[in-house]
Amino acid sequence: MARYLRGSDYAVFAVKVILLVFLFVIVLFPFYWILVSSFKPTDELIRAIPTFIPETFTVEHYKNLLRVAEYPSYLYNSIVVGLLTTLLSTFLVFLGGYSIYRCEYPGKNIISSFVIASYAVPTTLLTVPLYLIFAGLGLINNLLSLVLINVTLVSPLGVWLLKAFLSSIPREVEEAALVDGAGRLRIMFQLVLPLIAPGIGAVAIFCFITSWTEFLFANIFMLDEFKKTLPVGIARFITQYNVDWGLLMAGAVLTAIPPVILFALFGKSFVRGLTAGATKY
Amino acid sequence: MFKKWNPKSSNAIFGLLLIAPLLVWLLVTIGYPLFLCVKLSFLNVEFIGEKGVFVGLKNYINVVLDASLWHAFRKSLFWVIGNVALQTILGFFAALILNLKIRSVSFMRTWIVLPWILPTVVLAIMWRWMLSGTFGVINYLLEKLGVISQPINYLGSINEAMPALIFINSWRWFPFITVLLLAALQSVPQQEYEAAAVDGANSLQSFFYVTLPNLKPVMTVLGILGPLLTFNVFDVVWLLTQGGPSRATYTVPVLIYERGFKAFALSEAATISVIAFVFLAMFVVVYLLLTKMSVSEYARE
Repeated sequence: MARYLRGSDYAVFAVKVILLVFLFVIVLFPFYWILVSSFKPTDELIRAIPTFIPETFTVEHYKNLLRVAEYPSYLYNSIVVGLLTTLLSTFLVFLGGYSIYRCEYPGKNIISSFVIASYAVPTTLLTVPLYLIFAGLGLINNLLSLVLINVTLVSPLGVWLLKAFLSSIPREVEEAALVDGAGRLRIMFQLVLPLIAPGIGAVAIFCFITSWTEFLFANIFMLDEFKKTLPVGIARFITQYNVDWGLLMAGAVLTAIPPVILFALFGKSFVRGLTAGATKY
Repeated sequence: MFKKWNPKSSNAIFGLLLIAPLLVWLLVTIGYPLFLCVKLSFLNVEFIGEKGVFVGLKNYINVVLDASLWHAFRKSLFWVIGNVALQTILGFFAALILNLKIRSVSFMRTWIVLPWILPTVVLAIMWRWMLSGTFGVINYLLEKLGVISQPINYLGSINEAMPALIFINSWRWFPFITVLLLAALQSVPQQEYEAAAVDGANSLQSFFYVTLPNLKPVMTVLGILGPLLTFNVFDVVWLLTQGGPSRATYTVPVLIYERGFKAFALSEAATISVIAFVFLAMFVVVYLLLTKMSVSEYARE
């Protein structure tokens, strides 16, 4: 296309490039800004004229953050909840997704509609009754309550993500294995599962990130200071009377790093799953 | 038991067994709480552990007569319309740009989702810092460009807080819309454009007669999910303004949270939740009737 550009086409092309740069800036500048800010000493941080590249580079805020007594608990809680949620929900989503997209049975449309539609149920509607249920079960201040609700929050979209990957495997592959005498469970786990590994990865990363990010329920269920998850714990730094911006910035960067790393590893298949889910019906 | 390939019988039991754990899980964590919420709205539970007495519609009457419900609904309406409008515009804009055949674009097609995968608390810290009235880089840049003459305390002023929150939430969600729209754009059959060109359509006409019709399924999904998910956003609002200043950003989820977990008026919070749910359900029904499409359509293979 670029080979046969005429004069006016160059102008159009230039406009497009400018728009693209504009999009880059809108999306990525905030990340750059918080990253560089976290390395500025406090006096440079609160200067009226901001510096776009730090004059003095310091890691004092990160050191301070690690010195906050509760920080290790926040981190530990988030990791435990994230891993348990991911393991459980990925397993349930794989079974459920396989069922919805590969099996036939009466009532399937109703069931699959219910699964997908549950994504749209207002989370605020669930807060009060779930609080009562968990209080009754003694699960307030127990990380298990967060795992229970997080699995619910991630599963519907997780099933949707798997659709594209499952439908990319020809049914003949499975039928051939069945003719060879393989059991259905064996086909699922030894034949299909490896084939859709990128899809499972995409679901897992989505589950972990959502769990890592979840704020509302963690804020309501975890009252004990040492049971709070990272987002809720860090949020407490915001509401404190004297805002320590450096500390906040370092906290934000460290909280953002796990999702970003995971996304760097599995982001492509994640977006592929979303994309295919949106176009194929 | 499942040795023979018989799609009619064994497959059915197998399929049901596979979906059962997820189905039970969702029924227990969504179905039962929904039922409990409705039940709670007819009782007068004030504290946790209290049994409560049946009070009929008393909660509903109290809540409806209270001005804060209507205030919160007005704020939520503004919030939803503002967000959906801005997200759609930004999402469309980004999708059209990323659909261009430029090499550096492929990197961005994946990484544009970044704002969406970040913890809200990171988002809150980020934007609080950038929008700060005293050290904020946004104020600095806008002053340099001559757009404003003195710094604005966006999140702290009654007029600017809501638009600022809408911008921040849209910044977070528009990449999601972009990815879905981009997928739809790229799946438009090339022949349709060629056919339109043969018929003498200019680029604007082919956008309206070829591109837009092909985007309809995605737009329908977004048209339902977008307002629903936006209505329910709590963390962005809570972390950035807590509903303030002077209730300028006091949306329905904030009201439910404050009634339920600050004042511990559990029955009242449940009542507001049920009203909000009925309102959202009506919205979905109207939307589905308007678009003549059932929810099951996008669960279909």
